[in-house]
Order: sequence, then structure tokens, then C-alpha cells
Amino acid sequence: MQPSIIEMIYSQREEIMKRWEEEVQRVSENEMGRQLPYDKYNETNAEFIHLIIDTLELDQNEAKEKLRFFAERLIHAGWPLSYFTQGMQAFRRVLLETMTSNDSLQSKTVFTTFYEIESWIDGIINQLVDEYTGSWENTLHLQKLALKELSAPLIPVFEKISVMPLIGTIDTERAKLIMESLLEGIIEHRSQVVLIDITGVPVVDTMVAHHIIQASEAVRLVGAECILVGIRPEIAQTIVNLGIDLGKFPTRSTLRKGIETGLELTQRKIVDI
Amino acid sequence: MSVQSNVEVHTEWGIVSARQAGRNLAKELGFSSVDQARITTAISELARNIYLYAEKGEIIIESVERMQSTGRKKGIKITAKDEGPGIKNIRQVMEDGFTTSGGLGAGLPGVKRLMDEFDIDSIAGEGTEITTIKWNS
Amino acid sequence: MRIPILKLHDYLLISVQVELDDQTALQFQEDLLNKIHQEGSSGVVIDLTSVEMIDSFIAKVLGDVVEMSNLMGAKVVLTGIQPAVAITLIDMGIMLDEVPTALDLEQGLDKLQQELEG
Repeated sequence: MQPSIIEMIYSQREEIMKRWEEEVQRVSENEMGRQLPYDKYNETNAEFIHLIIDTLELDQNEAKEKLRFFAERLIHAGWPLSYFTQGMQAFRRVLLETMTSNDSLQSKTVFTTFYEIESWIDGIINQLVDEYTGSWENTLHLQKLALKELSAPLIPVFEKISVMPLIGTIDTERAKLIMESLLEGIIEHRSQVVLIDITGVPVVDTMVAHHIIQASEAVRLVGAECILVGIRPEIAQTIVNLGIDLGKFPTRSTLRKGIETGLELTQRKIVDI
Repeated sequence: MSVQSNVEVHTEWGIVSARQAGRNLAKELGFSSVDQARITTAISELARNIYLYAEKGEIIIESVERMQSTGRKKGIKITAKDEGPGIKNIRQVMEDGFTTSGGLGAGLPGVKRLMDEFDIDSIAGEGTEITTIKWNS
Repeated sequence: MRIPILKLHDYLLISVQVELDDQTALQFQEDLLNKIHQEGSSGVVIDLTSVEMIDSFIAKVLGDVVEMSNLMGAKVVLTGIQPAVAITLIDMGIMLDEVPTALDLEQGLDKLQQELEG
């Protein structure tokens, strides 16, 4: 960048910051004000403007790192992307204004023209950014819903015996839903034995095993019993290699064998006629 | 707008009224029945700790909000405050199975697992303040 | 407040219908042990269907009651623990490992019968 620009920014640093904050305030009142957490608002503004100016001084990588850190924190806290894009646009406007304010009429005309074009283009950019983030959020929301729908139903197969087939990866959030639907289902169907079928679970690591163990403990507390079925050879291998102890509750290789065990536990059996 | 209720704990009845207040607010905020049980149990543990170790203190139950890209997230915040003897070794009390009262030693580590956020602040001889939040997902 | 304890042949039946505070729980422990002693009961079913919350203290009291009753020669089955209560206990790391459970009073009685005969 031209040294004269940097010098100008430094010499009028306070003025620029003040005008920027006013400008951001004005924009955010119209658009995003309702979405922002107010207690941190001024604090975050101050941090943002310092960060922008810092990028002039710092080594490029360091500046990038700082910006990433700041953005990650704000993303996590739920600040919209438009806060960044509009904040940066406001900064550019303020800068140009400051530069041209003491100048001749001619540069003012240039500025005005530029300003018109800029606000037109910025408007489009803003809308595009909003569309994008809106669609991301929507997709994410729908995916979460889809995952919830995927969450296992408890199927009563015989009197006192129900099956819960698990399909797909099990994370903590899903494990919670599975546990709730499992226990509610047990009460609803008065099941004494529940077969949890993990044929459709691709990976059983310590985390998944932990969730399954917890579920079976909870099943025991409400007064039923769990049998883990559908243990493929590779799953048996990983379970043993990881040193996971599933010794506390019965396991069977297939659903069919599990059902036989379930019938035995409830003093029944299937006979040929 | 936030709703807040303060419950003094210096008898066993304080424990009961604190968890009732908690259950009411949790219900009002639309928590699931499982989360209601989690919140009530956490309050019960915190209130009992006050009763057992500090004799006197208070439980503050309030609703909180946080911004998220997908909208507002609501939660319930529980603060347990006392001017009791304080906790000398915080790491120790957060271990499963550690107990000085002959209980199960599941109290504080249990509360941490039941809730989403957990913060403990204690000065030996001055008192303890535990803050914990459950978000409604 | 006292929790009523009903006698049915060799068994004692208890349905906890109140919110358990510490005092009530301890009183119940004492009453039950006295009743077992008095009646020479061989089995006990404690139904917890209406209990909305079990914290570590109540869990300890219940676990103790089971162990103490066993010492006095009476088998105890806990029934009707609600899903929300079970999940909360598991979250807390309280497994109540040694305690027999059943879905409801009826199945609890069946279980006692089996255990005492088998």
C-alpha cells in the first residue's frame, strides 16, 4: 500500500475509529441490530476496529491468525456474517470520506460517484452473502431434523420383546435421543427384553460402546433387560482390541439368536408344528 | 426478559422448595421431561451440599438467553451461593466417588454431567459459589 | 410424612406417592426394616412410578434399604422407575448395580416369586 495512505490512517486513527463506530451503529440499527447481543456490542466493535488497523502493522500470517481467532469466537457466539461484511464496508466508506474531506471539490465528485457505485455493488454482495448463509443454516437445520427422524424406533415383535435397530453413526446427541425413545418405548409396550441391533452401525469405538452400555444400564433401571445383537466379526475385533468391557450384558451375533434368547428369558420358545 | 427466583436453604425443606421452583421454571421454558428431571436433580444436589456443608445459603434460579445463528437459545441458570467453609480441593470434589459425608460421591461431578455449563468458585473459609446452565436444545 | 407399607401374604408392598424429601426417605427406611422384622416378610416391592426425581441421596437411601433388607432375609425389587429418572441416574453415574428392578408392580411380584423359588 502507498505509504501516504498508511500515514494518513495513523495520523487520523482516533477520528477514523470514532466515525466507524458511528457508521456501524447506524447500519446495525437498520439491519442487524435486533440480532446482536448488546452487552458485548461495544466491546466487540472496539476489538474489531483495532483488529482491522492491526492488519496494517502485523506480519501477514500473524494478522490472518488473529482475524481467524476473532472470527471463530464470534461465529461461536452467533454473530451474523453480515456484521463482518457490513463492518468492513463501513470502514471503507469512512476511510474514503476521511481522505477526501479536506480535499478539493474534484476529488469529492470522484468520491460521490464512487460511493454510488459502491453502495450498489455492496448491496448485491450483502444480499448474496445473506442468501448463502441463509441456505447453509437452512440445510444444517434440515439435516439435523433428518438425523432426528433417523433415530431409532422401538419395534415390538412379540409380547414382552422389542427390537431397536440402530443405523448409522452414533454421536452424543443421537445417543440421547435413542436412549429416550428406547425407555419410553419399553414403558409403552411393557417390554421385558429389548434387543439392540447394531448391524447398521458402521463403527463401534469406545464412545459408541459407552453410549450403548449407558443405555443398557438405564434399561435395567426401568425394569427390562438388554441384549446386544448384530455383532459382526470386525466389530467384535475392535471391541476386544479397544479393551471395551461388554461383559455385563448378553450379546448375540444375530437378531434371530437374540430373539431366541429373549423368548427363553420370558419362559417361551418357538416350536415346529 | 428473565424470570428469577431465590430460595433460601437452611433446612431440608429448602431443598424441596428449591427443586420445585426449578421444575416449575424448567417446565415453563419447555424443557423435555428428561431435562426437567436432570435440572431438578442438579438443584437437589446443590441445595443439599449447602445444607450439609454450609448450613445456610441460597439457590438462585433464572432463565437465560443466548444468541445463535439459528435463533435465540433459551436456558435455565442455577446459582448456588453460601458463606460456608469453602472447598479446599476443588479437583478432589469433582472426582467420582469422593465423599466426606458418606454419600455416593456422585454429587458435584454428577451435576456437571447433568448440566451443560458448570463453574465453581470457592475460597476456603469464605464460601462457595457454583453456577451451572442447562440449554434447551 | 410417612409412606404406607402394605402387607400381602409373605410380601410387603410400597407405592411411593409423595415427593421424597430426606426425612421421609430415612423414616421410610426405618419403618420398612421394622415391618420386615415384625412380619418376617420374604419379599418387598417398592414401586416408584410416581417419583419424579431421585438424587444421589435418595439413591443411596434406596440402595441401602435393599442391602439392609437382604441382610434381614427379604428380597427387594424396585419397580416403575420412570425413563427420565433412569436417564438422570445414569448421567450421574449411579447404576444401582445390585438392585433388582421390574417394569411395574405385577412384574415385580413375578420377579420376587421367581427369585424366591429359583
